[in-house]
Amino acid sequence: MSLVLQGLALGVLTGGLYALLASGLSLYFGVMRVVMVAHPAFLFLAAYLTYTVHTTLGVDPFLALPVIVPLFFGLGVAVQRLLIARLAPDNLAMMSVLLTFGIALTIEGLLGTFYTGSYKSVSMEYATRSLTIGGVHLPYDKIIAFGVAALTLAVLFAVLVKSRFGQALRATIQHREAARLVGVPTERVAGYGFGVGLATAAVGGTVLALITPFFPASHWVWIGKLMAVIVVGGLGSVAGAALAAVVLGMVEGVVLVTVDATWATMMFYVFLFLTLLVRPQGFFGGRLAHRF
Amino acid sequence: MARVRKGLTIISICALALTACAKTDEPGAAQPPGQQRGPVRIGISLPLTGDFSEPGKGIQEGYQVWADRVNAKGGLLGRKVELIFRDDASDPNRVSSDYESLITQDKVDLVFGPFSSRLVIPAAKVAESYGMLFVEPAGAAAEVFEQGFKRLFYAAPAIASDHYNYLADYLTKLPPGKRPKTAAYASLDDPFAQGTAYGLRDKLAAAGVKTVVDEVYPPETTDFAPIAAKIAAAKPDVVVGGTQFEDSVGLVRALQELKVQPKLAAFSTGPTLAEFPAAVKGAAEHILSPVGWSATATFTGNQELVKRYKELFGGDANEDAANGYTVGQIVEAAVTAVKCVDPTKECQDKLAQHIGQATFDTVVGPLSFDDKGRPEQAHMIQQYVDGKIEIVLPEQAKTADLVYPKRPW
Repeated sequence: MSLVLQGLALGVLTGGLYALLASGLSLYFGVMRVVMVAHPAFLFLAAYLTYTVHTTLGVDPFLALPVIVPLFFGLGVAVQRLLIARLAPDNLAMMSVLLTFGIALTIEGLLGTFYTGSYKSVSMEYATRSLTIGGVHLPYDKIIAFGVAALTLAVLFAVLVKSRFGQALRATIQHREAARLVGVPTERVAGYGFGVGLATAAVGGTVLALITPFFPASHWVWIGKLMAVIVVGGLGSVAGAALAAVVLGMVEGVVLVTVDATWATMMFYVFLFLTLLVRPQGFFGGRLAHRF
Repeated sequence: MARVRKGLTIISICALALTACAKTDEPGAAQPPGQQRGPVRIGISLPLTGDFSEPGKGIQEGYQVWADRVNAKGGLLGRKVELIFRDDASDPNRVSSDYESLITQDKVDLVFGPFSSRLVIPAAKVAESYGMLFVEPAGAAAEVFEQGFKRLFYAAPAIASDHYNYLADYLTKLPPGKRPKTAAYASLDDPFAQGTAYGLRDKLAAAGVKTVVDEVYPPETTDFAPIAAKIAAAKPDVVVGGTQFEDSVGLVRALQELKVQPKLAAFSTGPTLAEFPAAVKGAAEHILSPVGWSATATFTGNQELVKRYKELFGGDANEDAANGYTVGQIVEAAVTAVKCVDPTKECQDKLAQHIGQATFDTVVGPLSFDDKGRPEQAHMIQQYVDGKIEIVLPEQAKTADLVYPKRPW
C-alpha cells in the first residue's frame, strides 16, 4: 500500500512537470492551430543555455531564467512572425509539422556542433535528497520542479485571465475573425502568444536540466508524451493540459510501481487512443476543439 | 497498381545505382596470381560514414596501429602488411558487396571484420562462402554465433551475458555471512544491456541470492523514481542496472532520493563514460562496472598500443581501437604459428583451426574461443575508488582492491 502511495506522490510531482512542459504546446495550438514539434527541442536548448550559465558563472541554474525567458519570448515572436505566419493558411496544420520538424532538426544539429554529442548535466546538492513524510519520499528536485511549474502556470493563468493582453489572446484563440472585427490586432497577439509559449519552454528547460542529463537528441522522447497530454486535455486549453498532465503523471506512477515500466509508458498512448475514440475534443477542451 | 509499378521502378533504379556504386569502388587492377611475395594484403570494410561512423573510425585506427607495429617488426612471415579499407556507410548490403569484391577482385590474403552485429552477420556470410577466416572486433549479439559460422571469432573478452562473470565469482565466493542475500535488477529493454544484467542475475540466483526486483524499462523512460521506489520497498543488498548512460544516471539519482542504500551497486556502460562522475556528483564512489579494456592494464602489447596510438592520432585510444588491435594480434599469432598467409582454403582452414583451439595474449587479456567463435573470458570489473577509476577484478589485472560493502551514497 505504501508503495502505491509512493508511486502516486511521485506521479503528482512528475505530472506537475509535464504540465509545465506541455503548456506551451497548448498555447501554440490555441493561437495558431499549429502543431509545434520543435517545442521539446527548445526545452533542451534552454537546458543547454542553463548549463552554460551554471558552469561558466557557477551560479544557481535558476538565476539563468531572467536572461533565458526574455530571450525565448523574443525567439518565439520571431519564429511566429518570420516563419509560421508565412505558411499557406489552407494547409497550415500539415505544413507547420514539417516546418517545426525542420526547426527541431536545426536546433539539434546546432547543439551537436556547439556542445558536441556528449552528455551534459547540471547536478546540484539538493538534486539527490528527499523529504520524507509518513514513509513517502518526496525528492527535492521534483518538489522544486512542481513548485516552479505551479508558479509559472499560475502566472500564465493570471496573464490570460486578468490582463488586456490575455483577453486579446483568449479572444484570438476563441474566434480569430470575431476578435479582429472588434479591433484585436490578432497577428501581433498571435506572435506574442508564441512568445509566451516559448517563454514557458525556457522555464521548463531549466527545470529539466536539473532533473535529467541530456544530449542533443534528447528531445525526441518527449514529443510523444507531451502531445498525448495536450490531446487528452483538449487542444488549445492550457488548464485542460495541466489537469491531464497531472492525471497522466499519477497513472504513470501508479502503473509503474504496480505493473511495470513498459505499461506505464504505454498509458500515455492508451489514454490518447481512448480520448480520440470517446471524446476527440479532449476532456477539458470544450467549445474551441469542437470547431475542428 | 500504377503506384506499385512506380514504386518498383524506383526500387530497381536504386538497386541498380547501388550495384553501380559498388562496382565503381573496385580498383581494376587485380593481383596476378603468381605474385606471392608482395605485401600481405588485408581487406576490411568498415562503417566510416553513417550510424556507426564513430566506432567504425575507432576500429580503423586500431587496425592501423596494429599494421604499423607489425611492419615495424618486419611484417607477417617477412612480408609487409597492407590494409585495404572500404567504407560500407553502415549499410548491410554494401558490406556484403565490399567483402565480395575484396575477396574475388582484390584477392586479398586475409579479411578482418567490420563493426557491429548488424554488419558482421552479412559480412561473415560472404567470408564463410569463400572459406576465409573471419576474426571480428564488434559483434557480440547472440545471433552472430547462431548462424553456424565455422571461421568466425569475436575478438573481445566476452559476449554480453559474461560481462559480470568476475563479479559473480567474487560474490559467490564470499563467506556466507558476508554474501549478499537479495538483489534487485533494472534493465533497459535492449538485448545488450539486458544481456549483461541477466548474466549476473542468473549466476547469483543459482548461488542462492534471491532476486527481489526484476524490472525492464523502455528506452523512452525519463522518470526513474518509481522504479527506484519499487527497489526501495524490497531493500535489496545488491542493485544491478543493465544500463546505457542517461538511465544509469537517472537510476543512481532516484535511488539516492528514495534512500536505497545497497551494499553493492553495479551498472553497465554508464559509469565507464567520462561524463558519469560529474552527472552523479559524489555518488559515483564504489559503483562497479564491467569494462572490456583498460588503458592502464599491462596485458601484452597494451602500453605499446596506448603510446603508438597517441603518436599516430593524438588523443587517447578507446575500447574500439583496442578491439581492432586485438583482431590484429590474434591473426598475427595464428599466422606465426601455422606459418602460412594466403587466401587458399588449406591455409585459411589451418588458421581457423588454430584460433579455435589456442589461447592468445592480447591487449584485452588472454583470449580463447568456444566452437561457435564466442570468447570464453569475462570483462574486467572497474570501480570508482577515492574518485578514480580502478580495475578491481580479476586478480591479475587489478589496480586496487574491491571495496565491499560500498559507502552510502
